[in-house]
Amino acid sequence: MSKLLEMRGIVRRFGAVRANDGVDLDVRRGEIVGLLGENGSGKSTLMKVLFGMVEPDEGTIIFRDRELSGHRPGEAMSAGIAMIHQHFMLIEAMTVVENVMLGWSEAGRILKRAETAARVREASRRFGLDLDPDAVVANLPLGRRQRVEILKAALRQAELLILDEPTSNLAPTEVADLLSILRRLRSEGKGIVFITHKLPEALEVCDRVVVLRSGRVTGQAAIRDVTKTQLAQMMVGREVAPPRLRGAQAAGQERLAVARLQGPGLGPLSFEVRGGEILGVAGVDGNGQIELAETLAGLRRPDAGSIALDGRDATKASVAARVAAGLAYMPADRSLTALVRSLSIGENLMLRDSGRPPYARGPFLSPGGLARKARELMREYDIRAPGPQTAAARLSGGNQQKIVIARELDRNPAVLIAHQAAWGLDPGATRFVLERVLALRDAGAAVVYFSSELDEVLDISDRIAVMANGGFAGVTARAEADLNQIGVWMAGRAA
Amino acid sequence: MSDLAPPSPSAPSRLPFAASLRFRSGEGVAIRIAVAAILSLLCAAVLVALSGHSPLAAFAAMALGAVGSPHQFGVALNRATPYLLAGGGVAMCFRAGVINMGAEGQIALGGVGAAAVALVWPSAASALTVFASLFGAAAFGALWAALAAAIHLGRRVHEVLATLLLNFVALLLVQQTLAGPLGQSGAGFLQSPETPPASWLWKAPEFGAHIGFLIAVAAAAALSFVLWRTPFGFALRVAGSSRRAAAYAGFSIPLVTWGVMLLAGALAGLAGGVEVLGVHHRLIEGFSAGFGFKAVTVALLGALEPLAVVPAALFIGLLEAGAQSMQRQIGIPSALVVVIEGLTMLFVLAATVRRA
Repeated sequence: MSKLLEMRGIVRRFGAVRANDGVDLDVRRGEIVGLLGENGSGKSTLMKVLFGMVEPDEGTIIFRDRELSGHRPGEAMSAGIAMIHQHFMLIEAMTVVENVMLGWSEAGRILKRAETAARVREASRRFGLDLDPDAVVANLPLGRRQRVEILKAALRQAELLILDEPTSNLAPTEVADLLSILRRLRSEGKGIVFITHKLPEALEVCDRVVVLRSGRVTGQAAIRDVTKTQLAQMMVGREVAPPRLRGAQAAGQERLAVARLQGPGLGPLSFEVRGGEILGVAGVDGNGQIELAETLAGLRRPDAGSIALDGRDATKASVAARVAAGLAYMPADRSLTALVRSLSIGENLMLRDSGRPPYARGPFLSPGGLARKARELMREYDIRAPGPQTAAARLSGGNQQKIVIARELDRNPAVLIAHQAAWGLDPGATRFVLERVLALRDAGAAVVYFSSELDEVLDISDRIAVMANGGFAGVTARAEADLNQIGVWMAGRAA
Repeated sequence: MSDLAPPSPSAPSRLPFAASLRFRSGEGVAIRIAVAAILSLLCAAVLVALSGHSPLAAFAAMALGAVGSPHQFGVALNRATPYLLAGGGVAMCFRAGVINMGAEGQIALGGVGAAAVALVWPSAASALTVFASLFGAAAFGALWAALAAAIHLGRRVHEVLATLLLNFVALLLVQQTLAGPLGQSGAGFLQSPETPPASWLWKAPEFGAHIGFLIAVAAAAALSFVLWRTPFGFALRVAGSSRRAAAYAGFSIPLVTWGVMLLAGALAGLAGGVEVLGVHHRLIEGFSAGFGFKAVTVALLGALEPLAVVPAALFIGLLEAGAQSMQRQIGIPSALVVVIEGLTMLFVLAATVRRA
């Protein structure tokens, strides 16, 4: 196997922080290298350096025996590096073939649509991508969209593919398909960098793993030589305890009751959650989770049906009234909904409580009250930042989510709607989130916990519901959960 | 990974147009704006030199014209006043992500309101007359903004269109009132009779500056307080950053929009009112031509911070007062000031608008 990529001694400083501190990375042809690390460990920075999105302060990059320096993403692409981002760079209103032609010189000055479509079909067959060139991207599930990105890379003769957290949005079957596509690419001699913090996938598909922590390589190994526990330890530098086991608890009285709830892409749906109970909602993304969560939170109006909080009808209540009635909501979309990135940590902590003490005194805001409360919450929820004035945008994903948790749980809610609450977080931060949710449940709140990570739902729930096609395909007690049955329910969706 | 924090699954990526216009804020903005202002003056110097005059002499004449005598300074203050009043309101709208381009019309109607009340008000007590006339100005301005808000929120017409197009209607409305009920017959020009002296704004002797500037500074301070120290101000800052976050926070976007539009309309109306009651003492056709757009300029020049709009409005006011004397003394057309204003606007926008 010949060397494809050699990165040596990469250093990249952001102010006083060394995001990369002398990192080496090698990729050979026909090799899948797993790049592991917690949030903020420097994986993304390293890949941005490679792709020419940020310039390194020190270090060299040799790609296909040529030195890359001072390059831009366009040059990285033409040199044969393809980056497949976590969020896809596709135009949803266009078809697969149109997306492939976008910005591609070989599509011709006058677009060779039929010819490109034929090439798409051919490549799709070769790599097992199963893509229809004329399908509109908006109609494709996330797994297929990712394949369009892979297809683009393959057609552009990329020799090195970088996949950034490629499985975070995929259903289990889609993950399996992706991994087999990666194996095909490997057998064609491509090099692949697979960024992830999901250890089982890394173990399954990678040949070698490189683990980053605080900007340094803290471990690398051929995959046959390591165990999951060793990898996890390399990543966090400590033992990750699994989330606390669910202590049996007699469920209290009904706190959230939903009856025949119906809206676009949703329902009709009826269920109730009792105090001291976590209802885990599993299912492939896009099966009505966002619709249900936002309808419960008051961000969408249902067409029919009712929602009751603690026995009181809240179907028509405003968002503010629901918050006052004890409904907490952690939206999946952290960047635009749950947080205002340009505002400070303190202001984000008061986002939904700005009219109440201690944030307000009478009709005015109280900067002193805000500062005190913010410092208290930052301590209690371990939000790591210089101070309450720091902009939320400057924090890592885990610390951002801690702001949301602190704000929503500090109100001591009766009902919590948590949607992808641990999404994109590293194992340590995930554990923190799950523990806080469990503590809230132990304090007697009713929790609806949406997650497309089945393991998470299994870890935390008292009851498990599986969403498919806007409704619950099935509901089961955690104790009686049968993985095969859950899989069948999840597959209720036409993919 | 922190700086790459990806949008979460199933997050709608569409943003309203208003939210797509983003401005920098925080440290460094003041310096950026100062540099932008200096660069625009340098460009102006080049233009002056090209026209065959000495830039130094031109700027000296301009400076003298602006602050050379108490009277000149008073003229500059009077110039700055309507820009400051209306600009503060525009800044609040932009903060909330509501692109209000309707200050021009709201100012004009504010002038109508002030003149109408001043002309029919029976009382001779000066303070009460002034108060009632200014109230009339604010009410007319707010009414005009309310019309735009109603069209925007009720019929989902984009607010830029609704506010901008109503400007033309407002200007025609001013003509119509001057041709009819409020007009002075036989004046040979579209204007109202002179308002009774009881309605005139108090003027500082010597300076000739009317009290409107103080009103405007007080208004700017009040706006800054509202923006930073009230839940309403917080709501509009959140709404301006992310409509989805505002909805999640429990703020009503229509209520926020109504709030800032009425506020901005009332302030723009007040701007028209002080111009009529403080400078002309009558309503004249075209008395406020271009004021609304200068209000946008000073709002942006002040980085949408109400208190910073004060120096921004002063800058434009001094520039314009100075330009007239530059024209008198050196013969450089005062239109150059319009060029400087345009350049300032471009430089400031380049320095402060963030790339999406």
